[in-house]
Amino acid sequence: MWGVIKSVLAAFFGVQRERQRQEDFENGSPVAFIIVGVVLAVVLVVVVALVAVQASR
Amino acid sequence: MRKSLVWMTGCLGFALMVPLAMANAWNMPVGVTDVSREIHSLHMIIFWICVVIGVVVFGVMFYSLFRFRRSQGAKASNFHENTTVEVIWTAVPLLILVGMAIPATATLKKMYDASDAELDIMITGQQWRWRYEYLGEDVAFNSNMSTPRAQIQGDEPRGEHYLLEVDEPLVLPVNRKVRFLMTADDVIHSWWVPDLAVKQDTIPGFINENWVRINEPGIYRGQCTELCGMDHGFMPIVVEALEEEEFDAWLAERKEAAEQEAMGVDREWELEELMERGEAVYGSICASCHQAEGQGAPPAFPALADNQQLIDDLDWHLDKILNGVSGSAMPAFRGTLNPVEIAAVTTWTRNAWGNDTGDAVQPAEIAERLSD
Repeated sequence: MWGVIKSVLAAFFGVQRERQRQEDFENGSPVAFIIVGVVLAVVLVVVVALVAVQASR
Repeated sequence: MRKSLVWMTGCLGFALMVPLAMANAWNMPVGVTDVSREIHSLHMIIFWICVVIGVVVFGVMFYSLFRFRRSQGAKASNFHENTTVEVIWTAVPLLILVGMAIPATATLKKMYDASDAELDIMITGQQWRWRYEYLGEDVAFNSNMSTPRAQIQGDEPRGEHYLLEVDEPLVLPVNRKVRFLMTADDVIHSWWVPDLAVKQDTIPGFINENWVRINEPGIYRGQCTELCGMDHGFMPIVVEALEEEEFDAWLAERKEAAEQEAMGVDREWELEELMERGEAVYGSICASCHQAEGQGAPPAFPALADNQQLIDDLDWHLDKILNGVSGSAMPAFRGTLNPVEIAAVTTWTRNAWGNDTGDAVQPAEIAERLSD
């Protein structure tokens, strides 16, 4: 699970190790990556919104 | 090695010289409001960030090209990925962008905060003039370009403020927050005065807000900056910023003049008076389309001289002026000209250029039609 999160975060940032990338592609199903990706995208939006609200106080 | 150093310094010096030489002549103005100063300093900060990035990136690139050239026996190294370098070159731009976004957003917030204004002015774009209404003060006027057609057509030498001069400037006080409510009657225009750092689209059916607090008295010029038709280039903006007492005196004077004008509606006007006033109104409002001699520019702008329908039918004529012609460039003038102006310009067009109807249309008659 932690490995999936790390890979999704790396994808958000846009940089990934080649070794890690190959490992990800050996672990069969993409479903876990999609779910974690959607959840983290929502988290990112909420965090940015909170920062914006806080900064405009 | 020494040779390459000389090269590097030369390139760097050149890269810095060009923007410095251009900075004063072609740069955006610092302007005369706090917001315009902030925008200018943001512009300069971001400009120098770009210069530094450009010099560093191209410096490294040109140095590498030169230093590691094949004739000196350089050999390419073949490797794939370097996570550390990739992280750095992703993180650094991210930090630079966030660093630029923070002050820029702070300035944007100020620009959008039109609250607590001491004076509200409605700015309306029209083909092809600006209309200014001092809300709650009963003062309103049209601001037309005053550059003579002869200069535009090249028959006379161009004046100092060619295409940037108007018959009646927008007069504003210094040191007071003035809110602009901006819209348009016909098509999208845009009200732009660089020294005030205001560039705002005016859109039919929408009201946009903007505001200024001018620090220095003076005359500031601008232009319509949204292509709005044939005379887009001929609807300049002139703002005259006065000291507060001078502004108050000006406003009081204008209010009194407006009252005088309102009283003029009730009395009987002579034909000559109406003709004199009407010629002036025609020149500033109508002539850009219907032309100085009333010959028009068919088919878009019909001729008024020798127009049989106009001569025969006063009702039809007045309806066109008051209500406009939908689907054409003819706007409704019931809201933008007062009864005296409408009566005068109607009288003028019914008697000039051989139309000779002899009609003297009375302001009182127009006022009655307007109240229907």
